Amino acid sequence: MTSANVHRLAVALLAALLVGCHKSGPGETAAGDSSSAARTKIRVGFSQIGAESDWRKANTESIKSEAAARGVELIFSDAQQKKENQIKALRNFIVQDVDVIVLAPVVKTGWEPVLKEIRDAGIPVVLTDRRVENEDLYRTFIGADFVEEGRRAARWLVDATGGKAVIVELEGTPGADPAIDRKKGFHEVIAQYPEMKVIKSQSGEFTRAKGREVMETFLKSPEGPSITALFAHNDDMALGAIQAIEEAGLKPGEDILIVSIDGVYAAFEAMVAGKLNCTVECNPLLGPQLFDTIEDILAGRDVPKWIKTEEGVFTRETAAEDIKHRRY
Amino acid sequence: MPLQSTMIELSRHIVRTLLGIKWALLALALLLAFNAIFTDNFFEIRFQDGHLYGTLIDILNHGSKVAIVAVGMTLVIATAGVDLSVGAIVAISGAVAASLLVERGAPWYVAIVAALVTSLALGLWNGALVVWLRLQPIVATLILMVAGRGVAQLITDGRIITFEDSHLAWFGNGALFALPVPVTMLALVAGVGALLTRRTALGMFIESVGDNEQASRLAGVPDRAVKLFVYTFCGLCAGIAGIIECSYIKAADANNAGQLLELDAILAVVIGGTSLMGGRFFILGSIVGALLMQALTKTLYMLDVSADIAPAPKAIAVVLVCLLQSPAGRELIARWRSRRRGGSA
Amino acid sequence: MAQQEKGGQRMRLPIGRRDIPLIATAIVLAGVYLFGVLTYEHFASWAVVRNLLVDNAFLGIAAVGATFVIISGGIDLSVGSVMAFAGILIAKLVEHAGVHPLAAILIALMAGVLFGTTQGLLIWVFRLPPFLVTLAGLFFMRGAAFVVHSQSIGVRHEFVATTLNETLSLRLPLGSRGIVLPVTVFILLATFAIAWFVLRHVRFGRTVYALGDDAQASALMGLPVGRATVQVYAVSGFLSALAGVVFMLYQQSGDPASCKGLELDAIAAVVIGGTLLTGGIGSVIGTLLGVLILGLIQTLITFQGDLSSWWTRIVAGVLVLLFLVLQRALDALAVSALNTSEES
Repeated sequence: MTSANVHRLAVALLAALLVGCHKSGPGETAAGDSSSAARTKIRVGFSQIGAESDWRKANTESIKSEAAARGVELIFSDAQQKKENQIKALRNFIVQDVDVIVLAPVVKTGWEPVLKEIRDAGIPVVLTDRRVENEDLYRTFIGADFVEEGRRAARWLVDATGGKAVIVELEGTPGADPAIDRKKGFHEVIAQYPEMKVIKSQSGEFTRAKGREVMETFLKSPEGPSITALFAHNDDMALGAIQAIEEAGLKPGEDILIVSIDGVYAAFEAMVAGKLNCTVECNPLLGPQLFDTIEDILAGRDVPKWIKTEEGVFTRETAAEDIKHRRY
Repeated sequence: MPLQSTMIELSRHIVRTLLGIKWALLALALLLAFNAIFTDNFFEIRFQDGHLYGTLIDILNHGSKVAIVAVGMTLVIATAGVDLSVGAIVAISGAVAASLLVERGAPWYVAIVAALVTSLALGLWNGALVVWLRLQPIVATLILMVAGRGVAQLITDGRIITFEDSHLAWFGNGALFALPVPVTMLALVAGVGALLTRRTALGMFIESVGDNEQASRLAGVPDRAVKLFVYTFCGLCAGIAGIIECSYIKAADANNAGQLLELDAILAVVIGGTSLMGGRFFILGSIVGALLMQALTKTLYMLDVSADIAPAPKAIAVVLVCLLQSPAGRELIARWRSRRRGGSA
Repeated sequence: MAQQEKGGQRMRLPIGRRDIPLIATAIVLAGVYLFGVLTYEHFASWAVVRNLLVDNAFLGIAAVGATFVIISGGIDLSVGSVMAFAGILIAKLVEHAGVHPLAAILIALMAGVLFGTTQGLLIWVFRLPPFLVTLAGLFFMRGAAFVVHSQSIGVRHEFVATTLNETLSLRLPLGSRGIVLPVTVFILLATFAIAWFVLRHVRFGRTVYALGDDAQASALMGLPVGRATVQVYAVSGFLSALAGVVFMLYQQSGDPASCKGLELDAIAAVVIGGTLLTGGIGSVIGTLLGVLILGLIQTLITFQGDLSSWWTRIVAGVLVLLFLVLQRALDALAVSALNTSEES
């Protein structure tokens, strides 16, 4: 499907160049605003962060398939993890006269000028996954609470260890909101237990390879043998770390307890194998909730400022059963 | 007798290379000495599961991956070119291997051969853009750098493909001669590279293309074939690194595999004494450069330097080493020495 | 390239050979724009043109700096990191230290000049390759940006949010809703105008060209090669910091993790604009066209609206390639046409 579009794009590009050579000047083909009135289909512009993880892919697919199921015209733009690309896409959404703009902002700050422009154009904005700083500039936020996810991970660890652990932490990408917030929530809870100590904390950049490399270093440091628990800001880093722990001749899940966040399919597989103890879910399947909300907004109904997504905490004890219901 | 003269020539070459990169070697030695004093059990190595295990081994292991790419990059840079697409090729290579293995059920050796052939073809593509379309190398390879990661994601359908195959996993996790497999792979790649360039006219051709392309063409050097070769070889090296990288985490991570690897490899080459303007090149130097960078990374981890500010000390170390290696730096040192000698006399 | 060096005393057509790549670039740009107009609803609006300028102002300014460096035969890879550093420095000074934004901007610009000068000195005095020095600069400034502050900071200061970003913008009655040009667009245009003038009519500019053409010959001719080299990198440092200021205004925040890889976009824009990486040949007008082409490619992809992440990357790469091929073909065509007209 997409390849057909690419093909069309290429053919049309060549055609246009040929036309260009015949010196036919640019006419005002699109008649401006008249088309939006005649249109019955809802048109939604969606600026996604990128495709950096399985979580993100599941999130994108949920929103795309829900749009298709409801007959909504979705203009999708992938920002390749760059804020400036997102801002560009948002400006073009205004020109394209969309009815609603959906934004998954790559960072909290830096949205005021463009969101003000969108407000002036009278287009409602719905945020998903992550939030922006200024609450006046969007209608509602659908997504998880990263700080709460960090707290949940910490609470599980407190219960599992009886409040006594030597912890190492694999952080996300420096400066990324989920990394900052998950760390904040985790440390907030841990601080109440004097016998729970985070002895090492280093960025694994949310990837398996870095997660494994950093864990190798942790294990070989002088404090290495005393480590009893690992908190990873996402599943991928935990999955990498598991390999490092095995290489060191230790049993992941037994010698070192592991808790991570996201709840991707591979994490459930690791829990079934007994190598991961717990994953705090961060639900990417936001499509249905998102389009319900969009329909509410367009119908003029009030929507809450924050629509929290349903999220659970899964442990390896129930993983064999849970994995049957996982879709991503 | 020819063997003897070869050995003499070879050892002379090695000594010359080592002298050329003495500051990189010195920096590496200083770094290790620093760790010996300040980091407990940095040098601790034990035998486990049939191979050596320790921080130094880790440095060797991870350094080898970058070094393999750096070997290919050395030849490209020697022709006054550069290859920015190696990171993308690493991602594609891993994606091809993992998806063939998991989705198509291909045997592991088919997966690996396919990945390497793909990388070879991508390297050839870079070479073709440089040679026939006469694009400047930085732009020619930028195209694959941008599009290549997309191709890798297309192959994996944007997912991280996990595999359990023990053969494929061996390349990143297994041991050979008590050392991690990547070390042997590096020795192989470097050996082949050295043989091709030092035992045949190829090395001379590469240097002459890098020194002065037009003059070498007039002198009858097949400059186009030389360029096609170096980019293809570099692609192959990146492909091998791609196999190691995906094998290491037993998964193909198209979005993250080989991210920023091109910069690491270029740095390693430059620290190793090869000039970015082309001309003389030092394969061994690039390998030392890669190991130095890896040792630095590891040290910063060990010192709990946070990943966000770690680039700054790395940059300072690189500039210092290159300053000492530069002609002006050497001159400064020589002047300082003679002045001291003059003062004491 | 050989055909440009042959010179053109015998030229009869009003355009010189040096202009051919530029004209080829302009034709392709027009073609791409026309394609958008014919293919997509709403593409033919003033707002698209305005967005192109607003959304690429920071890239354009960074690319001007890259043009200077590349014409001089060097390269600067530190651009993106310097931008991030300037942005977070201003945000930190304004929001956490109570410094007036104007003073903070001045400090950031001075830091850019200082850093650029340092790079230039390393390159000139120690004869280190620019690629290496500025690559180290890329790492160094990224680390430095995180040292200033490890998270992004929103700038809410009245002077930035209102005076700079609203009072100083210009409203034009174009299109149905009218369009607003913010101050950043004027900074962009002024940067291009000044750079054009400097490269064309100031002695420093001519030295830059001579430097890239043949540094040794320039030295023999008595040109201040060393000073010019350092100055080129100082200019690039300044323009990188200025691009950082514009980026800060553009999004009213500073972010130490922003602008990663922007230097490659800038270099791509410069090269697409016909400047040779070997130095000596190029122009800022070409760079402006290059920036617009990269921006237009992104706009097309957004308007297409159904490309997945990977297709976005592939299409972006293929379009750049396609563009380079077209440019090459037009160039060759024009040169042969010029030759025949000279012969007749």
